[in-house]
Amino acid sequence: MRQIKQTTRRSIAFYTMIAPWLIVFLSFALFPLVYGFYLSFTNYFGFNLEDLSLVGLKNYQNVFNDKDAMGALGRTFLFAAINVPLGTVIALTLALLLNHNIRGRSVFRTIFYIPSIMPAIVTTMMWKNILFTGNGGILDRIIGFFGLGPVNWLGYDYALFSLVLMSSWGAGGGILIYLAGLKGVPDELYESAAIDGASYMQRLFRITLPLLTPVIFFNVLMGIIGTLQQYLQPILLAGDQLLARPIKPIYLYVVHAFQQIFANQRFAYGMALLWVLFLITLLLTLVVFKTSRLWVFYEDGGD
Amino acid sequence: MKRRILAVLLGLSMIVLAACGTKPTPGGQTTEAAKTTAAEKAGDKTEKETEKATEPAADGQVTIRTTFLEGELSRELLDKFEAENPGIKVVQEAVDDTKMASLLATQDAPDVMRCIGVYDIPTYVTRRIALDLDELMNNSKVIDVDDLLPICHVYRYDGTTVGKGPWYGLPKDWSNDFALFYNKTCFDNANVDLPSDTEPMTWNEVVDLAKKLVIKEGDTTVQYGLAMVENPTMPSFYYLNQYLLSAGEDLSSDDNKSMDFTKPVVGDFLTLWNDAVKSNIGPNPVNNDQTGGSNLFIGDQCAMIVTGYWYSGMIRGNEEASKKTATFGMLPTPMVEGGKRVAPTGSATGGFIYAQTKHKEEAWKFFEWYFGGEPVDDRAKSGWGLPSFRSKMELLPQADDFDKQVYRVTLDELNYGDAFIPINPYLGKAGRPMFEKWVDPFIFDRATLEETMQGMTDDANQTISEMVSVLEG
Repeated sequence: MRQIKQTTRRSIAFYTMIAPWLIVFLSFALFPLVYGFYLSFTNYFGFNLEDLSLVGLKNYQNVFNDKDAMGALGRTFLFAAINVPLGTVIALTLALLLNHNIRGRSVFRTIFYIPSIMPAIVTTMMWKNILFTGNGGILDRIIGFFGLGPVNWLGYDYALFSLVLMSSWGAGGGILIYLAGLKGVPDELYESAAIDGASYMQRLFRITLPLLTPVIFFNVLMGIIGTLQQYLQPILLAGDQLLARPIKPIYLYVVHAFQQIFANQRFAYGMALLWVLFLITLLLTLVVFKTSRLWVFYEDGGD
Repeated sequence: MKRRILAVLLGLSMIVLAACGTKPTPGGQTTEAAKTTAAEKAGDKTEKETEKATEPAADGQVTIRTTFLEGELSRELLDKFEAENPGIKVVQEAVDDTKMASLLATQDAPDVMRCIGVYDIPTYVTRRIALDLDELMNNSKVIDVDDLLPICHVYRYDGTTVGKGPWYGLPKDWSNDFALFYNKTCFDNANVDLPSDTEPMTWNEVVDLAKKLVIKEGDTTVQYGLAMVENPTMPSFYYLNQYLLSAGEDLSSDDNKSMDFTKPVVGDFLTLWNDAVKSNIGPNPVNNDQTGGSNLFIGDQCAMIVTGYWYSGMIRGNEEASKKTATFGMLPTPMVEGGKRVAPTGSATGGFIYAQTKHKEEAWKFFEWYFGGEPVDDRAKSGWGLPSFRSKMELLPQADDFDKQVYRVTLDELNYGDAFIPINPYLGKAGRPMFEKWVDPFIFDRATLEETMQGMTDDANQTISEMVSVLEG
């Protein structure tokens, strides 16, 4: 009896503690999601809330018949396929470098981390107006030293490359997590390896990376989710207005949804677009989880 | 295993949170944005106040919300209004296009809203968002309808034709937005004579003149011929509409339920501006010069800029430009070869009352004061736009030679300011991104002229048919 009371008491305490988050989550996250799901089956155009008609799966059928949507989805996958591995390699490499006990380490950590905390609007404007611009832009000057260019960084041939470049510059956000993971690797393992005469590369591939795979796994997962939802940077590269339309190579899927909702007032169709993305993201996440058995190493076997 | 399950749950909750975590940031849509950026910034402060107050207070005071911000409506003026109308409190709320869409969607829009009359009034009337003010306007003792300039009729709409039917709002000020300003220093640099400021050029002549004004040093362009205030020098939906008006063409059918972008006039327009892009007469996506048109113009790096009277206020207010006003001047709005001379407004920023306002009487009182009372004089004297009333024209700045030249050209432009650019109310704001979708590949030589025009037609008609089906049930 005493045990039950204690359990109940603990439950009450638990739910009381999480109540603020739970209320906000239910009101501002779950409810809009469910309501948006309902709207995706209607003809909602932003002004006919009192006169809605159910249209069944029409909006979802339109998603797969919409050439712009399918093209944007393919482009988004391509962007993710380049951006996520590249971002992972850059952040991991920088973290490994910064994990060495060198003079000024904290300064370098700060420098590499700054891009990830700067607002996207600031970084994009900086890249667009200082680095990418064709009027004395820094990138053109750099390649000019090698006798190359100039090139149109925001034109059809290089826009996707520029978006990847800009995203990679902000890859430092993952450094902190990798550094925390690196701190968790026991020193004894390195000491034993050193006694056995293991080289740096052997230690890296036999100790560091295997023990870091859970952290890599987490960052890859977050990277996939974030990249599939990318929309602000392509829009800002196109213009300084939110309804500016990026050129085709960087016209990504969520940009298309944003345009459908706010430029075309196709709210219901936009909801359908986003729910399709949600399901694709969910599916990809499950696939990554499945593959994790093959490459993620848990010290306790994952139990 | 437990850890894996928890990790799966965590991952899923991240997806949910990330999906909900995106939020738009403020941004404008037309050339008016240049005038309102400061206003929007200032308005951010008052936005929070707004959320508190929409219902009548216990003392019977009614709070109305407006989207006119500090830059266009000072708190000092508002205090005066509130003192004269003790039962009304006005709060200012910063609203951009995306937030406006959300507020309208949730039927929580402010009582008196700022709008771009040319584009928004047909759209908002069709969607039953704007309140019919006809009776109030005609019976007003503050607003003299007979004194309004013809351009103000852009706020009238009968369901198919702009300029006819009931009044739905008024411009706070307006400009002949498709006129030109010149920079004499750049003309001198290129050894080119200034064109006439009494006879308009054709758009073809403008592009040809701009080509002569380009100066290059090696491969680098050091002076352009023509810029736009915010847009790159390229084909734009905004300029197409004036081109159509001058050519006497309308792409919409009589009932507005279809559009045809395959008409030859669209081809002429696209060909002309594609030539402008290829000739490198201004910053554009192909030369990838990201410098703003206004910066180039004021910095003596561009000879002409397409813009209206309001830009004279910009020149007077800019630290660098105000020191050399004698360098600048205004040219009449260009016309289409073989077309008629028109000097329409491209925006006519003004306001309307939300059809579902709970405080119609108080909103009208505020509207009447803002669009017909003391603020009208203040705005006219500032020189940042033309007044709505004929009798207020003389309040415009006329101090120095620059003011006088701009005033003289403007008075002549008024004779051609009674035409309204053709707007399809069902296409609404979707017109611009639709146009950009097809123009970008065209100027990058990724689509032919025919593909571009057909693509625009197909996309516009799809949007229109969906909107018509919703509105007509």
